[in-house]
Amino acid sequence: MKIVVCIKQVPESNNVKFDPVTHNLMRGGMSGRINPFDKNAIEAALRLRDAVGGEVALLSMGPDSTAEILRDGLAMGADSAYLLSSRAFAGADTLSTGYVLAQAVRQIGNVDLTLLGRQAVDADTGQVGPIMAVNLNQPQATYATQLTANGNQLTVVRDLDSLTQTVELPLPAVITVRAEANTPRYETPLHIQQSFEKQVTIWRDTDLDLDPEKLGQKGSPTVVRKVYAPEAKTRAQTALPSEPAAAVDQLLVIMQQHGLI
Amino acid sequence: MTEAIWIVAEREPARINPVTFQLITKAKAIAKGKKVVVVLLEAPDQQFEQAISEYGPDEILLGQNVAYAQASDEVMAGALTTLAREYQPNAVLFGATPLGRSIAPRVQAALQTGLTADCLDFFYEDDLLVQVKPSYGDNVMCEITCPDRRPQMASVRPNTFAAEKVAGAMPAITPVEVAQTTGPQGRVVDETVRVSHATGIASANKVLALGRGAATPADIANAREIASRLGASVGVSRPLTDLPDFTVEQQIGQSGTTIAPDFLLNLGVSGATQFIVGMTQAKLVVSVNRDAQAPIFAQSDYTFTGDAAAFITALKQRMN
Ligand SMILES: Cc1cc2nc3c(=O)[nH]c(=O)nc-3n(C[C@H](O)[C@H](O)[C@H](O)COP(=O)(O)OP(=O)(O)OC[C@H]3O[C@@H](n4cnc5c(N)ncnc54)[C@H](O)[C@@H]3O)c2cc1C
Ligand SMILES: Cc1cc2nc3c(=O)[nH]c(=O)nc-3n(C[C@H](O)[C@H](O)[C@H](O)COP(=O)(O)OP(=O)(O)OC[C@H]3O[C@@H](n4cnc5c(N)ncnc54)[C@H](O)[C@@H]3O)c2cc1C
Repeated sequence: MKIVVCIKQVPESNNVKFDPVTHNLMRGGMSGRINPFDKNAIEAALRLRDAVGGEVALLSMGPDSTAEILRDGLAMGADSAYLLSSRAFAGADTLSTGYVLAQAVRQIGNVDLTLLGRQAVDADTGQVGPIMAVNLNQPQATYATQLTANGNQLTVVRDLDSLTQTVELPLPAVITVRAEANTPRYETPLHIQQSFEKQVTIWRDTDLDLDPEKLGQKGSPTVVRKVYAPEAKTRAQTALPSEPAAAVDQLLVIMQQHGLI
Repeated sequence: MTEAIWIVAEREPARINPVTFQLITKAKAIAKGKKVVVVLLEAPDQQFEQAISEYGPDEILLGQNVAYAQASDEVMAGALTTLAREYQPNAVLFGATPLGRSIAPRVQAALQTGLTADCLDFFYEDDLLVQVKPSYGDNVMCEITCPDRRPQMASVRPNTFAAEKVAGAMPAITPVEVAQTTGPQGRVVDETVRVSHATGIASANKVLALGRGAATPADIANAREIASRLGASVGVSRPLTDLPDFTVEQQIGQSGTTIAPDFLLNLGVSGATQFIVGMTQAKLVVSVNRDAQAPIFAQSDYTFTGDAAAFITALKQRMN
């Protein structure tokens, strides 16, 4: 089975700060790491490869520094990696990102399965997987916790919070993976060593079959027009008596007044 | 032609997800003359249009087909795409549930338009739908718009808005025929409801929330006893999901469940941002913490500064 795993570079921490003067987001100094859910996607791919044979390629769109997370993924045991890096891709929203990644999957060729994380921890949309599926004209299973290959078909268990759904997908297909699916393996010294011998192919926009109208900011229908810190609304904070028994008595009176008991 | 705001009804095996009702009430409040239309795709014997009608949308577009009883994302998105092409709504709203967040981006990609994920608020500025959403784990808010393409699409976080029934509402119910979705598609072979909605914290009227300051076996047992007396559900902060007593299903907050009870009692919860975002819709909030500076207090109507175990014990005694 030929599997592509899409991985995204995200900030090391979600504790973003605002510039007190410009109100802009200060992201400087934060080095990138692999989106945590994408490690679950890599792990799921490696287990499928171990079960039925095949190969696992990593795919990421981002600045050249993204090569580092691709190395991390290779050190987990993936076989090859593709980096999509071009100024033309900058400012892409999910629609444009999903389009470019889908075109790269087409170019890699003969891909049976595309795996992604359930969502990126920075923008938190989870939209890129389904968008890729539509661009590739493939079925999907999001929020997967179990993947079982049988022939030209995959049985996937989806954890949809209130509902567990089992779906049979014909291949090729797109799947996004939940953290509950597995525990990602650690990089081993041997794999780290081998990762430096594995190839990271870099593709620019001109290396892919792309409609320039669908790239970057121009190809992105959404506009982030304002970014700000959530306003801290506060409540009355009336203190209850400091003695537990008295506090509880007053609580029960308050609850009665509110028709709660 | 009056433009419409569409709400895609989220059908669970045996009910409509309450987020659908919440979206109807919110959409009516911001519609400014636009029609509020619910799109309902269901099996012919389900008749969920009755429950939806009570919340007073202007119209329900009703697609009935045996194929919708257990439909794949491909089938649902295919039908919605066809309908959106035909009716050209101004905006399309989904609940930001796992299902809504799976189907919405397929419709988005097919229609080549923008989709904002997991909104906490939205409003119109003239014809522009301004969508307010959190990012970076709720540490940042942003306003997102889709100026040039239609429809304007968003998924909206459950329990962010209150649902209100409208007395005597009689929405127009318009049957629609949608051709079978073709193309590669998954086959749903099983669906199992995971939580009993009656005891789930998402729809509970009263919630007792336990944090690391109220996590001993005695605290948990006492809290459960109090909860059963009050008819409350027990929720937890994230660290407590590591205990065998709890799972993520009881977790309140950003990576857990957003709750909107009439009464919330926080016991030994510090009030991290990720917890707070899950409880801002609670009506009456009372918090117990031994640290007078705990951030949870700022989000509380009543506070008790002191030992959680002592408070719990006193409350249990009063209930007996
Ligand atoms: C604050 C903020 C808010 C945003 N809100 C929105 C919004 O509401 N709607 C919108 O359309 N865009 C939004 N964007 C833009 C969005 O972050 C980018 O389009 C991003 O490239 C992909 O979206 P995501 O991070 O949400 O990915 P998700 O869809 O959450 O990612 C899911 C999976 O897709 C894969 N993946 C995602 N990006 C890449 C990549 N570059 N390379 C390889 N694999 C990848 C990974 O496997 C990942 O786990 C926002 C951006 C910011 C900074
Ligand atoms: C991406 C991300 C997502 C997250 N999602 C969630 C989420 O969905 N939900 C969530 O809850 N957390 C979430 N967290 C974790 C969150 O940041 C906090 O770590 C967590 O909420 C803290 O739980 P706590 O308040 O129980 O524990 P603590 O922060 O350890 O607080 C314990 C509190 O109890 C008080 N206390 C201690 N002993 C006593 C006593 N005897 N009597 C009275 N008070 C006492 C202390 O003063 C303190 O205020 C998330 C974190 C990240 C990074």
